[in-house]
Amino acid sequence: MIEIRQVQKTYPPVNGASEPVVALESVDVTIQPGEFVTVVGPSGCGKTTLLNMVAGFEHPTQGSILLDGQEVRQPGPERAVVFQQPSLLPWLTIEDNVAFGITIGHGKSQLDRGRLEGLMQTMGLSEFSRHYPYQLSGGMQQRCAIARAVITDPAILLMDEPFGALDAQTRSDMQRFLLALWTDLHHTVLFITHDVEEAILLADRVLVMTPRPGHIAKELKINLARPRYWDMVMAPEFTEYKRKILAVLRPESSARPASG
Amino acid sequence: MGYPLEKASAMGSERSVESQSTADASKISYHRHMPWLVVSALIGCWWVVSALHIFTPLALPSPVHVVRDGYVIATTGYNGYSLLDNIGASVLRIAVGFFAAIIVGVPVGLLMASSKLVFNAIDPLLQFFRPIPPLAYIPVMIIWFGAGQMSKFILIFICTIPIIIINAMSGAKNVQETRIRVAQVFGADRHQLLRYVILPSALPEIFTGMRVGIGVAWTCLVAAEMIAAQTGLGAMILTAGNELRTGVVFVGIILIGIIGYLMELTIRTVERRLIPWKGKA
Repeated sequence: MIEIRQVQKTYPPVNGASEPVVALESVDVTIQPGEFVTVVGPSGCGKTTLLNMVAGFEHPTQGSILLDGQEVRQPGPERAVVFQQPSLLPWLTIEDNVAFGITIGHGKSQLDRGRLEGLMQTMGLSEFSRHYPYQLSGGMQQRCAIARAVITDPAILLMDEPFGALDAQTRSDMQRFLLALWTDLHHTVLFITHDVEEAILLADRVLVMTPRPGHIAKELKINLARPRYWDMVMAPEFTEYKRKILAVLRPESSARPASG
Repeated sequence: MGYPLEKASAMGSERSVESQSTADASKISYHRHMPWLVVSALIGCWWVVSALHIFTPLALPSPVHVVRDGYVIATTGYNGYSLLDNIGASVLRIAVGFFAAIIVGVPVGLLMASSKLVFNAIDPLLQFFRPIPPLAYIPVMIIWFGAGQMSKFILIFICTIPIIIINAMSGAKNVQETRIRVAQVFGADRHQLLRYVILPSALPEIFTGMRVGIGVAWTCLVAAEMIAAQTGLGAMILTAGNELRTGVVFVGIILIGIIGYLMELTIRTVERRLIPWKGKA
């Protein structure tokens, strides 16, 4: 269970400004084990800062982040992270990149080859195990990054706009891959995105964030049936969720001007 | 396209050849011949100018003259030493001094990048010694280490190590933060970070340092040999100059150029093997 308690994050003033920059203000969230939570919001709303603090890369200025009751102080293998860029190590083959967490944590001799091969299979990477990252497409690189994140069996998967840099078709394929993987492993997921449809389609619960200062403006439980399919975006309930979220993100567009 | 530009820079050349489509095949073969065309044109000009007798043969010997001198010293030696002895002496000095600089410089550079303490300890020394020209060290080197091999090894070591350190340090500092974070998530300690992320990430810049360093190594080696050595290409050039054997001086200069070029090609080949991903990630 992840507990984010009254978290505030400020950065020192930039370029001679006198006021410190408030990135996040009074964020209060509890994420249950096995829950899939997405955070949607425009750039600059502090969503990446929130994820970085859960990951342990940054620390709250006030408040605390608890992981099963323990305060988060540094990154750890139970919280895997997938970044917007695949961030693979270019000198390692795809297979060695996927196995990187085992190499670091336990030594390469502890690698369970069967598990590695199974994971490569699930992520559609089997044919490319001996390739190098630069020889693969962006979507395949990101699948490799996801496989690398889950090979150590983390309880929590933190994903920072992982599909933001991909084209629409690849993005949709990746969402399918991710949901298939999550159905199998059922880890807790905190998924950051700026795409409202992606946020709804994947999530059990959507947190809508708005900037200046970054805070959670709305929380929305998504009661769509699982497994989810891409064509659900056309269902009336889906549209209703989308309308509610957009009303928060773009209040000016929900109040339509009188037609003239 | 940008092909001719890339070809012109030594660093871009290996990349561009691979990435060309077959449609450009004829263009590639044309570009491939450029080095020979340029060298032939230069020798041609040299020949014409020397044949016109604008300068005395003492100032500008003809290419034929230089080739003849080259043949003579290659077969009978010069000033009591065979050509191979001279080449061997120079290459050995470079090899020992330069390898020592790499073996010491790379770890020092990486440590300077990852530890503020080490950086503060070493940076003033580095910046102090860096601008001192190699020639300034030579008298002290000879007084301290004698006129033998050791003073040359140490001179090359001192002159090339700042380049290696600075490039290794800069390479290590430029590591993408997400790569470090990936390793931290898996619980990597400092040593693992250095070995599995920072060193490989810094390799491209380390190789750039080696390429610059090898040129500097030749510069200060020849300077050192001109002052206190019987063997080596620098010594050979100096002796020949004193005896007004301009042809032999030219042979020495050309040989240094060729050996330097071969060393650069060697480093380039190793680089391509070791970091095929350079510039692609």
